[in-house]
Amino acid sequence: MSGSFQHGSSGFQEPASPPTPSARATGRYPSPYSSVASAGAAANFYSHPSRTSVLNSAGDLTLGGSTGLGGLGLINNVNMEGAESGTDARAWRGGLPSFSRAFNMLMAAEAADGALQTEEEAFFVPSYLEGSTYVQKLEEAYRSKLQARESSRTSANGLSPNLTTFNPHQHPLPPGSHRGMSHTVIERPPVFEEDDSLAPLPSKWNKDDQWGGIEIQPDGLSIKYVGPKNQHDRDHEACAVRADHYMPAQCGIYYYEVQILSAKRDDATIGIGFSTKTATLSRPIGWEPEAWGYHGDDGRCFTGQNIGRHYGPRYNTGDVIGCGVNFRDNTAFFTKNGVKIGTAFHDVIRGKLHPAISLKKPGEYIRANFGQTPFVYNIDDLMREEREKVQKDIEATETSTLVPGMNETDLIQALVLQFLQHDGYVETARAFAEDMRVQKEALNIDPSVKVDGLNIRDDEDANNRQPILEGDIDRALKYTNAYYPHVLQDNEHVDFRLRCRRFIEMVRKAAQLNMLNDSKKSNGHTAEVAQDMDLDMNGSESTVWAALDADIVENSAELIELERSMLEYGQSLQAKYANDPRKEVAKALNEIWALVAYRNPLKEPQVSHLLDRKGRVAVAEELNSAILLSLGKSSRASLEKLYAQTSVLLEDLRQDGGEGAFVSVDDAMDDIPRSTQI
Amino acid sequence: MTSSASTATPAKHAFDRRVEDVKSPKSDINALILDYLTMEGYPNAAANFSKEANLQPHQDTGSIQARQEIQNSIHGGNIQMAIETLNDLDPEILDEDKALHFALLRLQLVELIRSCNATGGDIAPALKFATEQLGPRAPTNPKFLEDLERTMALLLFPSDSLEPRLSALLHPDLRREVADKVNRAILERQSQRREAAIRQLVKMRVWAENTARDKGKSLPDRLDIGLNGEDADSPGRRSIHGENGHEPMITT
Repeated sequence: MSGSFQHGSSGFQEPASPPTPSARATGRYPSPYSSVASAGAAANFYSHPSRTSVLNSAGDLTLGGSTGLGGLGLINNVNMEGAESGTDARAWRGGLPSFSRAFNMLMAAEAADGALQTEEEAFFVPSYLEGSTYVQKLEEAYRSKLQARESSRTSANGLSPNLTTFNPHQHPLPPGSHRGMSHTVIERPPVFEEDDSLAPLPSKWNKDDQWGGIEIQPDGLSIKYVGPKNQHDRDHEACAVRADHYMPAQCGIYYYEVQILSAKRDDATIGIGFSTKTATLSRPIGWEPEAWGYHGDDGRCFTGQNIGRHYGPRYNTGDVIGCGVNFRDNTAFFTKNGVKIGTAFHDVIRGKLHPAISLKKPGEYIRANFGQTPFVYNIDDLMREEREKVQKDIEATETSTLVPGMNETDLIQALVLQFLQHDGYVETARAFAEDMRVQKEALNIDPSVKVDGLNIRDDEDANNRQPILEGDIDRALKYTNAYYPHVLQDNEHVDFRLRCRRFIEMVRKAAQLNMLNDSKKSNGHTAEVAQDMDLDMNGSESTVWAALDADIVENSAELIELERSMLEYGQSLQAKYANDPRKEVAKALNEIWALVAYRNPLKEPQVSHLLDRKGRVAVAEELNSAILLSLGKSSRASLEKLYAQTSVLLEDLRQDGGEGAFVSVDDAMDDIPRSTQI
Repeated sequence: MTSSASTATPAKHAFDRRVEDVKSPKSDINALILDYLTMEGYPNAAANFSKEANLQPHQDTGSIQARQEIQNSIHGGNIQMAIETLNDLDPEILDEDKALHFALLRLQLVELIRSCNATGGDIAPALKFATEQLGPRAPTNPKFLEDLERTMALLLFPSDSLEPRLSALLHPDLRREVADKVNRAILERQSQRREAAIRQLVKMRVWAENTARDKGKSLPDRLDIGLNGEDADSPGRRSIHGENGHEPMITT
């Protein structure tokens, strides 16, 4: 059963006769072998002691005392507190990413109680894809998956501890709401929709997609040739295996590496490359149609037939071979020990191409790195070059075609001015128009021509919409009813959201007053608390600030009055919508009733997000759009539309691995100094 | 090349629907606007916008104003003043960027020629300026020499019958171009950036459409941004208003 290699670390770390490291390989990275002695926190994956120390020589799991996991460089944009020590592994059961398949196995063992979903895949980001739109989407999807799981677990446990402390005498409930039911509703992020366009990255070899004579090791990355076990398997020219997922074209470039842990000297009958699922697994990679491979025993590259062509050097034990596909130009290349060999194929088809390798002889043993750990070859630089190429193309683009008759400067002035007017920034629009007039006048060469200024009409609509955009919900409702009564009638959902928001604003204000009073009673540190409370500086709530020094009694009176009107308003909402059949209405109502359950909802993570100011802006914008549409105007300014068009166009260009993979709208935004909201 | 819009109903193109579903975050758009107003030198508008949109200014009004002043001088043809103001602001810019200095001096020569054309008078000041200021610099760079020669040709031909290459020199676009160059040079010293992000976004938009069309992606025949009011989104299509076509704008 067990092959000619024992499990454990030492067997592969120190081969009997270390091959001379390639001179080229010593340039950027330490050679996998020479670095064993000096392996520090930053040592590369192939030589890191902790990499293989999970299993001791007896094959038992050993976890305690494993060192430097944090140094593996896996932690990308994922908050991994406590990841420094392997003894925290228990915490990972919460669904946080694990470091390797070895740990997954450990977790699987622990999961015998069924608490863990074993099909969980470790989340990692290959360095060269960091910051790309594709990876951002992967991360988003992963986070919402975790959240969905977290919240389903919480609700399965019943009431959260916070909710059980609920005191019915402290805050009366709005009539009609059912205690113990509506109050256990916990905001759940939208369930992650399986998005066909978002293919996951290859992460391990697929045990269901291999030929019998090879064995995938428990880490999911190492493959050992063990020889055919039955008559069927014996009928082969080589044994191949493919990775679990295909290489997503959205990456632009996909790259993975394979280290040859062991092979017969001068005869490594190993093939490294990629293939579609149609290629048979009983032949060396590349001999079949829809398969592409680079072979160790002769250094040739093959696709579709067993003739191949001369390509690169042969490879053997200790070498690290990289395989890269450039989806932009349909080429593929290989690297050896950190050095690019050159383009191997120009005819890579568009299809679901899986990383694939083939082994042929006993003793052959390899380990793949799909980006879980740093690569030997500097793929990051190659990626950067590709991005810069595209950036240059964009830089050189002639923009006068966008709006015929307008050069770039005029066009941008027009876009900005239109946005300012569209979104009701009246004062800015005036100042901008005046600046433009001065400029035009200066540029006017013939003094006999009079330059016309732009007179920004005192846009009545813009003025009316101003309080709405400011997010003052009370005034927004008042203005809307006064000037655009039909808008709320025609847009019932906006009306509903406004009303809910108004209730939320009341809760928010009451909570702030409550906190203020509490702090005054306990100690005098109002200023401190005020910071704590995320007080709103938006003017409308300046009363809260003024109240800082005011008498508590006065506050209490105000609070009582506020809570009374809050409840009244809640009752009216309930009366109006209680029998509404729509799910989303019921859900929204339940959400806001939950707020009332807490003495201080601002401090309850389950509900505090409902009070976030962003929500107010979102409602305001929705109303603004509805009003604009009712006035026969586009709900979006041209600049906003242009922005959205650009995102969609890039998305299209990204889908099949074209130029869009190397560029994102954020590239433009990233240059802007981040200015915080005042 | 499969088109999802091939249904019989004149439904909205799938692309347009996707565009409608994409959020254009207010925070991003507002940041783009403030960045533009700051970078391209609109101090009053930038100050107003930070107030109206509740955003911290990217630069203080003073330094935006300084750049605006220089730009206005160049736009108005007052190159001497622009050079002096620029040297007050940061004397190293012109010391280090010979091409920029030459571009300014060349524009100054154009302005001198323009004024003597207008008055039908003496070409002596223009000649004097050319020999004293531009002559000694021209040999350092073949491009300078060519530019100088072309500019001097303006003196040889009557201004109303110039070939296009020459008359372009007298067009206000040259002032704008030089003013932009100066602004970019100052910006690069101040912020390591040469141009406003909105320019990159616009280029990205045009590039992305060109590339998508080259690749035969399914797109509507025309991707309108709705600037001239012919927005397919709005129920009532509007005619083009004035030069810039903003609906709520009146020229007096």
